[in-house]
Amino acid sequence: MASTIPFKLITPTKVIFDGAAELVIAVTTEGEEGILPSHAPFLAALKPGVLRANVQAEGKSERLELATGEGFLQALPDRLTVLVDEALRFDDVDVAAAKEERDRALERQKTATGEQFAREQAVVDFANAKLRLTGHT
Amino acid sequence: MPSVKDLRERIRSLKNTQQITKAMKQVAAAKIRRAEQAQKEARPYADTLSEMLRDLMASVGSVDHPFMKPGNASAPHGLILMTADKGLAGAFNSNIIRAGELYVRATPQVAWYTVGVKARNFVRRSGHPDHPTWVLNAPSKIEAAREVAHRVTDDFVAGKISNITLISPKLISMLSQKPETRALVPIARDAVAGGEQACPKGAVEFAPSPEAVLSRLLPKYLEFTIFSAMLETDAAFFAAQLLAMNNATDNAGKLIDELTIQMNNARQAAITKELLEIVGGAEALVNG
Repeated sequence: MASTIPFKLITPTKVIFDGAAELVIAVTTEGEEGILPSHAPFLAALKPGVLRANVQAEGKSERLELATGEGFLQALPDRLTVLVDEALRFDDVDVAAAKEERDRALERQKTATGEQFAREQAVVDFANAKLRLTGHT
Repeated sequence: MPSVKDLRERIRSLKNTQQITKAMKQVAAAKIRRAEQAQKEARPYADTLSEMLRDLMASVGSVDHPFMKPGNASAPHGLILMTADKGLAGAFNSNIIRAGELYVRATPQVAWYTVGVKARNFVRRSGHPDHPTWVLNAPSKIEAAREVAHRVTDDFVAGKISNITLISPKLISMLSQKPETRALVPIARDAVAGGEQACPKGAVEFAPSPEAVLSRLLPKYLEFTIFSAMLETDAAFFAAQLLAMNNATDNAGKLIDELTIQMNNARQAAITKELLEIVGGAEALVNG
C-alpha cells in the first residue's frame, strides 16, 4: 500500500474532505503540482482548476476529483491542507450555469481593467474547471 | 373601573400577542442553532488561513503590499456598518448604529458602506442615499462578503478612502451582544503574525514566491474576515431576538395574570352588588 499523509480540503463553509491521501495534484499559479507524502514544506497559491487526489477512504483507495476555486495549498511534514473558495464534485456541477457564468465573465472582461480583469479571469477559470470536470469544454 | 367585558377583550388580545412572540422565540431558537452551526463549519478555514498567514509573515522580511501600507491620508475614513436585516430584537440594531454614530462624531469625514437593511436605512436617512450597500441575508453570504471586500479594497487602493473600519456585533454570550469596532485595513502586521509563533516550521518553499502568495492571501483574509463577521451578526441577531421575544412573552404573561385578577375582582364585585340588591329588595318586601 502506498504511504499516505493526512489530507484536508477546506472551504469557508465546509470541510469537504478529511482523511488520508497518497497523492494530491493541484493547479498552482505556476502550473500543476503533484504532492506526495513527505514533500518538503511548501505553500502555494492555487488557480481555479481541477484538483485530483488519490485518497484512502475506509481502507480503500479512491480517486477524488473536484473543480476548485482560488485557494492555497500547504504541505507540512505531517499534513497536507488545501484551502479553496469552493469545491464541487461531479454531481454538484450545473453545466448550463457554468457555461453562462463563463460567457458573462468573458463579456464583463472586455471592459474590465487591472484587478477587476483578474477577478473575472478567476470566474472564467473556475467555470472552465467545472466544465472540464464534467467532460464539457 | 373597566367592565368585565373590556377586560376579557384585552386578555384575549394579549394572549394572541403572546402566542406570536412565543412562536418567534421558537423560530429564533432554531435559527440560532443553524447560525452557530455555520460559524462552527467556518472555523477550520479560519484556523488554517491564519496559520498560513503566520508562516508567511515569518518568512517574508519586509512586506510591500498595498493593504499593509497607510492609505491616502487626505481621503475620508472607510466605515463598514453591519447590522441585521430585520428588527424585533430589542436594542440589537440600534446599539450597532449608535456605535457608528459615535465613530462619525470622532471622525467627521466618513465614506459609508453598509451590510444589513437596518444599517442601510440609517445611513440613507442620515444623508447618504447612494452609499454602497448589501443585505446581510444574501443567498450566498460568502459571495456577498467577497463583493464587499472587493469594493472596499478597490476604493482603498485607489486612494478614495484612507482606511477601512468594520463595526459589527460580537456575540459575547446568548445573553449579551456588543458592537465591536475593528480596524481592517491597513492590516497590522501583529494582527496576522500572531506573535508567539515567530519562526516558520522549517525551511518553507513557496510557489511562486512568498510575496506573491501573500498578495493572494491578504485579500482572502479580508474576504473571510467580513464573511465571518456576517456569520457572527446572524448568530448575534437571533440570540438578541430570542432574548427579546422571551422577555415579551414573559411580560405578556404577567399582564395577563394582572388583568385576570382585575377581571375576577370586577366580576365578583358585580355579583356581590347584585346579591345585595336582591337581599335589599327581599327585605323591603318583608318589612313592607
